[in-house]
Amino acid sequence: MGLFDRVWNAAKSMAVGHAITIREMFHRPVTVRYPEEKPPFERGSRSVPVLKVNEATGLLNCVACGLCERSCPPSCIEIVQAVDAAGKKKPWPETFELDLSHCMVCNLCIEACPFDALEMADVVELSSYQVQDLIFSKDQLTELWKTSKALRVAGGERI
Amino acid sequence: MNILLAAALKVVGVLVFVMANAFMLIWLERKVSGYIQRRYGPLRVGGPAGIYQSAADILKLLAKEDFMPGGADRWLWLLAPVVSMVPAVLVYLVLPIGRTFTLQDLGVGLVFFSSVTSFTLLAIFMAGWGSNNKYSLLGAMRAGAQLFSYEVPLILSTIGVVLIAGSLRLQTIVAAQTQHGWFFFEQIVGFIVFFIASIAELNRTPFDLAEGESEIIAGYHTEYSGMRWAMFMLAEYSNLFTSSALGVALFFGGWHGPWLPGWVWFLLKTYIVVFVGMWIRWTLPRIRIDQLLDLGWKFLLPVSVANILGTALVLMVR
Repeated sequence: MGLFDRVWNAAKSMAVGHAITIREMFHRPVTVRYPEEKPPFERGSRSVPVLKVNEATGLLNCVACGLCERSCPPSCIEIVQAVDAAGKKKPWPETFELDLSHCMVCNLCIEACPFDALEMADVVELSSYQVQDLIFSKDQLTELWKTSKALRVAGGERI
Repeated sequence: MNILLAAALKVVGVLVFVMANAFMLIWLERKVSGYIQRRYGPLRVGGPAGIYQSAADILKLLAKEDFMPGGADRWLWLLAPVVSMVPAVLVYLVLPIGRTFTLQDLGVGLVFFSSVTSFTLLAIFMAGWGSNNKYSLLGAMRAGAQLFSYEVPLILSTIGVVLIAGSLRLQTIVAAQTQHGWFFFEQIVGFIVFFIASIAELNRTPFDLAEGESEIIAGYHTEYSGMRWAMFMLAEYSNLFTSSALGVALFFGGWHGPWLPGWVWFLLKTYIVVFVGMWIRWTLPRIRIDQLLDLGWKFLLPVSVANILGTALVLMVR
């Protein structure tokens, strides 16, 4: 390649490069100014498992079968089944605690649940300076369900 | 007494302008780089579009420890940032800011400009040698090779303009363009050589080998911190402004323009040229040292000499 071809090629490629950068400059930035504007949650993304309430009866869908507890890889779910005065087991949890400081947001509990009792909520801003604030009780998880939208529901993606 | 007062006022004015200009340009550089990369750039510190970011930077740099490396050459190390500021401030003397507004309209303004800016090399070498650091020395040697080889085409590229205008006085050169038309159109080759060489003189990307952070950390200011480092930056941004201003004075008619007052035109054109420099910085990658020297000696130098010859022939025939 001769000198003039090389100079011409250099000039042409520089012109193309500068055209690209000036064009990008007048596009809208792709970054999100996080606390002021929040990006939408993608359908099927994972955040926090929360407990669903049956709207007809007002009770939890959970029957304390313990499948989620057993499927949980970091063992962050702890369920104690309710027992009546006679010592008979009842189909609802006495306690349902989720330790978010361990939870790795794998969605396996929700896939394991056969009763449509758990779902992924669109909540992520739950950070705290105290680790015990990250252990969520049954009532707190229900509250979270009431104030959030579902991203994934039990038994796969049916939303 | 009046002369002293006027001189003091000029010095204070120039220093204030250097500070304000660096303040603006650092913010502008961040914004331009941000928008080219489809980000927002600084936003959080406050002010319109985050313009107080530079103020926060200056406060941070003032609060930093002034650390001298062990085994450093004390006086060279201490003086290098000051020496780098001297040419940056001195060149404001000859800039033709308005129709009747020049701090000191020297008859050899262009020669003064190019000879004073050569002092930057001295500061860089003082910093590189004084730091007792191999990266600093490597950066300084690269800067030496680069500034030395681009000084020549930079000066030669302006000679075409001098031939047409018939003067080295910057005000006369600008005044010649009001009748003759901007020299950019006739001296486009000269302008391209001038612009490439002035970017190289400023050590800016794509010619920022002297501070190539992926190879030699930060080159000659590796060992500087706090306000001393800030003085290098201040000098760098001041030089960016003044060399763009020289380009405007030589090729784009300086203060010449309709309706608005002269100094507004001058600043407007200068900042447009500065923006083009930033645009180039955020587009092109850094080139190698051998490519840099090849470009300087084998391409820009012959082209600028040919430009002088061509201009001289055309003037002689006419």
